[in-house]
Amino acid sequence: MSIRLNPDLLPDLLASIQQTEQNLNISTQQLSTGQAVNQLSDNPGAAAQLVKNHNQASQDDQFLQNINSLQSRFQIADSTLSNVVTALTRAISIGTEGANGTLSPSDRQAIAQEVQGINSQLLNLANTSSQGTFLFSGTAVTTQPFTLDPATNTVTYNGNTNVTSVQISNGNAIATNVPGSQLFQNAAGSAFGALQALNTALLSGNNIGQAVSQVQSALTQVSTQRVTYGNALSQINLSESFLNQDKLNLSSQENSLIGVDPAKAASDLVQSQNANQAVLNATGRVLNLPTLLDFIK
Amino acid sequence: MGSLSTSLNIALQSLQAEQGAISTTSNNIANVNTPGYARQRTNFAESTPVQQGDLTLGSGVHLDQVTSLRDSILDLRANQETQQQGQLNAFLGAAQQIQGLFNETTGTGLQASLSAFFNSLSQLSTNPSDPNVRQAVLTAAQNLATGFNQTSANLSTLQRNEDSSVTQSVNQINTLTAQIAAVNIQVASATGSGQNAGPFVDQRQQLINQLSGLVDVSEVDAGNGSLTLSTSNGAPLVVAGQSFQLATQPDPTTGLQEVFSLGSDITAKITSGALAGQLQIRDQEIPGIQSSLDALASNLATDVNTQNQAGFDLNGAPGGDIFVPPPAGGVGAAATLTVSLTDPSKIAASADGTAGDNTNANALLAIQNEAIVNGQTPLNAYSGLIFKIGNNVSTAQTQQLSGGLVLQQIQNLQGGVSGVDINEESANLIRFQNAYQASAQISAIIDSLMQATINMVSGV
Repeated sequence: MSIRLNPDLLPDLLASIQQTEQNLNISTQQLSTGQAVNQLSDNPGAAAQLVKNHNQASQDDQFLQNINSLQSRFQIADSTLSNVVTALTRAISIGTEGANGTLSPSDRQAIAQEVQGINSQLLNLANTSSQGTFLFSGTAVTTQPFTLDPATNTVTYNGNTNVTSVQISNGNAIATNVPGSQLFQNAAGSAFGALQALNTALLSGNNIGQAVSQVQSALTQVSTQRVTYGNALSQINLSESFLNQDKLNLSSQENSLIGVDPAKAASDLVQSQNANQAVLNATGRVLNLPTLLDFIK
Repeated sequence: MGSLSTSLNIALQSLQAEQGAISTTSNNIANVNTPGYARQRTNFAESTPVQQGDLTLGSGVHLDQVTSLRDSILDLRANQETQQQGQLNAFLGAAQQIQGLFNETTGTGLQASLSAFFNSLSQLSTNPSDPNVRQAVLTAAQNLATGFNQTSANLSTLQRNEDSSVTQSVNQINTLTAQIAAVNIQVASATGSGQNAGPFVDQRQQLINQLSGLVDVSEVDAGNGSLTLSTSNGAPLVVAGQSFQLATQPDPTTGLQEVFSLGSDITAKITSGALAGQLQIRDQEIPGIQSSLDALASNLATDVNTQNQAGFDLNGAPGGDIFVPPPAGGVGAAATLTVSLTDPSKIAASADGTAGDNTNANALLAIQNEAIVNGQTPLNAYSGLIFKIGNNVSTAQTQQLSGGLVLQQIQNLQGGVSGVDINEESANLIRFQNAYQASAQISAIIDSLMQATINMVSGV
């Protein structure tokens, strides 16, 4: 004697229909969103990882923005310093000319005049600002870094010696400024001091050669410090390509976390469609099966 | 010797018995779709034989009893599984709404606001004196506060919804236990008087099964067919003809409805059924998430405030709070997180008072990598919360699925015992019809025999 089965087939049939419809829904949703994880519960681990992933990607975007704004600032600083180098080179060249003993005092005076001109050009360059802030005043960005006292013809530094740093990728920060005092009034060679000395020497006719060599060492200082900006520029370029690569990695990681394989999703869809139709077909037939009652006359 | 009239009597009894069987069959077919109906069977029994000298003569058939076919163990198991399913369904219904509040798979949840806030500080570090960049920090802080506020408010709404579901469930439980108590008496009295209590048992089992969907029910057979029902922790629900109503009463501190039985609070002792699922969401799941959000919001706001106070604003003055200081202990911090700073120049990016210094902005930014919430960075703490929320749903789904299959299997076994099979009933019908017709035929033959005897006597 076999076990008596549940004569009511409907609950089982309905459960099967529900199951295939659910599968159909899942495949459709996966195909339409392109995601295998549409709710946290679909894969809690992936969803939690995705939170970190999205955060990292958004940080990378911010780092890239930081790099962008630093880049333009560094470029302005670098080209300003390049102009400073040109100006100082000119000063050396005319200073050397002025050291020639055959020149008359009036000729030297003319040269001193030009040195004075270079000095004020240098003052302008040292006071360069970008987006409303001075580039070379340390962190006192709203204070004009260098002022000239016309009476004594001396240049005073009003900024500070602080250096700021900005993160350009996780755990990687770079210095974003060189204080003006380090650039233009460096103890090892002050550009302003040297130009003033050259001016005085030319006017007096004494120690011109010594003054020229002072300008020479000031030029060396500016060139040395300028390298900081050059290095920073190449460093942020490196970071930029690293960040872009990281973003690519993150997005491919995101895809493997929650993305759906379109081919698999499409074949899942076909499969669940077939299963659904088969169950519906079977249900229609089973529910219409004749019973013994149909044969009682 | 059996007389003709005895034979006629036997045929008559047979007609009655088959009629009863046909009536039972008809009743079975009529109730084929009645929920909870257990098929009935007529039990034929031989009538007591008659002793005549050495002869023992059969004296026909009678309907001994009509019994309902059910398996009380299966009923019990079905009730137990229904309790589990009730709990999981109630839990999942709300838990799925909760996870919908954390839209992290589309990247539009709190993570986006959290990242945007720290990114605005990162931006600030590149240009600490720019008023637009400063304003962006304030805007990002406001968005973050709004994100926390909304998520927390939505959770509170769900919690209140669950609270009213609790009251509804308790009302339904009370209605059901009153009905069960009434049927319980009928079962006892039918059993006592030797009648078929089956239809009442059907009804009672159907009601207990509904009750099982709502609360954990433990059944004890009180003898005489009556059942004693209580929660699994012993709070009485039905004893004989009496039902014990559950009551709700708001908790003075939380304002949430607590469940009482006979004056004592049994809220924490309800272990399954929809009521347990609702309480689990209301008293554990939602408060748990709220307190994680509170810890995150509170520690973040406090640390940002402290760091801002350590620096100097754009005008060189010492910094103050950016957020309204969160409540002590952090309770309600997510719901109430508010940006108090309105003047962007008062963000303290500088550590030395100079406008271009970003040291303190960097320090504010560094909070994102500091272990400020239970030894975790803000984002990792949030990511952990996301895992927990998703995992609770996913675990419940798995349990619901497997429990559902078990229940389906038990219901199939129940159907195997109690379900009406049209084919079987039809076959029985044919059998009873044949027997009925045969008995009728016998009556006719006895009738003709009697006629013959009468004619013989009258000599016509």
